Amino acid sequence: MLSNNTGPVAKLYLSIIDDVIESMRELFLDEGLEDRVLDDLRHLWESKMMQSKAMEDFRKNNINSSNFVLQLPASYSRTDQELTTSVLIPASHNIHSFPMKTNSETLATFSLPAGLSYPVQIPAGVTLQTASGQLYKVNVPVVVTQAPAVQPLISRPTQRVSVEREAPAPQSSAVPPNTKRPQEGDPPSVPASSIQPPPNARIDIPPGQENSYPPQQPHVPAAEPSQLQGARSPEPDIKMDENEQSPQHEPVNLSMNASPCSQLLEQISSEEALAQTAQLKSQDIDDILKEVIEEEREKAERARILAPAKNDNKPDPVIGLDLDFNYNELSDIVQLDGPAGNSDMEEEEGGPLEENDFLGIINAEAIKALQEGEGSSDGNSISSSSDSEVAELEEAVEEDPLNSGDDVIEQDIPDLFDTDNVIVCQYDKIHRSKNRWKFHLKDGVMCYGGRDYVFSKAVGEAEW
Amino acid sequence: MAYQLYRNTTLGNSLQESLDELIQTQQITPQLALQVLLQFDKAINTALANRVRNRVNFRGSLNTYRFCDNVWTFVLNDVEFREVTDLVKVDKVKIVACDGKSESTQNKSDKWSVTQTPQISVCL
Repeated sequence: MLSNNTGPVAKLYLSIIDDVIESMRELFLDEGLEDRVLDDLRHLWESKMMQSKAMEDFRKNNINSSNFVLQLPASYSRTDQELTTSVLIPASHNIHSFPMKTNSETLATFSLPAGLSYPVQIPAGVTLQTASGQLYKVNVPVVVTQAPAVQPLISRPTQRVSVEREAPAPQSSAVPPNTKRPQEGDPPSVPASSIQPPPNARIDIPPGQENSYPPQQPHVPAAEPSQLQGARSPEPDIKMDENEQSPQHEPVNLSMNASPCSQLLEQISSEEALAQTAQLKSQDIDDILKEVIEEEREKAERARILAPAKNDNKPDPVIGLDLDFNYNELSDIVQLDGPAGNSDMEEEEGGPLEENDFLGIINAEAIKALQEGEGSSDGNSISSSSDSEVAELEEAVEEDPLNSGDDVIEQDIPDLFDTDNVIVCQYDKIHRSKNRWKFHLKDGVMCYGGRDYVFSKAVGEAEW
Repeated sequence: MAYQLYRNTTLGNSLQESLDELIQTQQITPQLALQVLLQFDKAINTALANRVRNRVNFRGSLNTYRFCDNVWTFVLNDVEFREVTDLVKVDKVKIVACDGKSESTQNKSDKWSVTQTPQISVCL
C-alpha cells in the first residue's frame, strides 16, 4: 500500500541516504574529518531507520514486528475445539515461529498454511511460547484470527497471526457500572449542597438585610437541615418589616442585599463546584427539592420587594406556587445560581459589581414577571411568569458557560494537532466550496503507524 | 534553498538524532550538522520529485484547517487512502503542506530574510 509493500520506500530512503552521505564526503574532508566519522553517521542513520517501522518492507518478508506466528500441531483439529472467547496477546517481538506446548506437554509445531486456515481455535490450558522465550498461557479457548494488517496477506500466508485477548473483558465490563454510580448522584446533590452553607451566613446578618430571605417557614418540610430552619426563624418577624422598609430603604436594601446575595452566590457556586467534583451521593431528592424551593422563594421575595409593593397577597401565592414547580424547573433554577456565583468566586475585587449586575438581572426580570402577572389570575400567571423569568435568567446565565466552553476548545487545540499520523507534502491547489474541501497535493511523505508511505500526487476530498 | 519540511519525517528525524549524537561526542560541529541537514533537504526534495511516481486518492472529514505563512495544516478524521490496489484507513491524520507552485521554493524559515541590503547615501 502506498509504495510500501515491495520496498520502494526503503529503496528511496537508502538512495537519499547515499546521496546525502556522498555529497557530504567532500565537505567532511574539507573540515578535516576522517571518513570514519561519515561512516558513523551513515551507520547511525541507517540503524535508526531500520529500527523504526518506516522501512519495514526492507526487512525479510517473513517478519512483522506487530505479530507473531502461531504454530500448532499438524494433527490439530478445529472441530475438537469449542470457540468461546478469544485472547489478544500483545506481540512486540519479531519472531518467525515458536513452539507451542500442548496438553500432553509435548512441544509441537506446525506451519499454519499446511491445511489450516484462519481463524484457528486453540483449546484452554495451552501454553504458547514465543521464540524469545516468553510464555503465554491460554486459560480460555482461543481463536486465532488473521490480523488486519496493512500489507496484503494473501501473498504471505505463513505470516500474520493475531490472537485477540478478551480475558479482561469481564473485568472491564464490571467497571462501567461502578463508574456510573457517582454520576447518578450528581444532579440531585448539587442543589442540595449548594444551599446548605448560606443559611449560616444568614443568621449573622442583621434583620434589615434579610429582606431577601423567604419568610414562609411553614412551607419548609421538616426534613430540611436544621441550619435552614434556624435561619428562617427570624424571618416571620422580618416579614412585617419588609413591607415597611421596602419603599424607604429600597436602594439601601439593594446594597445590603448584595452582601448576602454575594455570599449566597459564592457559597452556592463553591458548593456546586465541590459537589460536582466530590460526587456527593448522600443527598435525598426530597432534601434537594426543599432547598431549591427555598432558593426560589428568595428570588421571588427579592423580586417582590424591588417591584412596587402593591399586593401583599402576592408573596403567598408566589411562594406557594414554588412547591408546584416540577423537579426539572427547580434544577434549572439551581443551575442559574451556579455560573453567576462562579463569576463572583473568580473575581473577588469585582465581586460587588457582579453582585449588582446579577441583582440587576433578577430585578429586571422580576419586575417584568410581576408586571405580566398582574392582569391575570394569580396562580397560573405567576407560575408562567416565574417560568419565563427562570427561562430568561437561564439564558442570561448560560452565556457564561458557553463562553467558558470556548476555553475548553482552546485547550484541545494542542492535543488536536498532536498526532502520530502526519503527512508532509506540498500543495498544488486547495479548493473549498462551502464546506467541501478538495486537496491537490504532491511529493508527500506520510507516516502512519510508524510506517512511511510516499506519493508523488495525492488528490483528496473532505467535508468540514 | 529547498523546503525544510521533510525534516519532520522518519528519515529526517533519524538523521537529526544521529547528528545530535555526533555533536555530543564532539565528532562534528553544529555548523557541519546544519550543512548535512541542508543537503538532506535538497536530496529529499529531488528524490520525491524525480524518483516517486505514484498517485493516491483520499477521502475523509475535515476537522480543522489552518493557513499561515503559505503553509496549510489540516487535521482530517476517518480518512481512507486509496492507491490502485490498496486501501488504508486512518482515524486521524495531520497534513502539513507547503506551497508547491512557488517558482523559487524558498526555505520556510527564511521567508522573512532580508535579501537586499539598504543603501544609504550621505551628502557632505
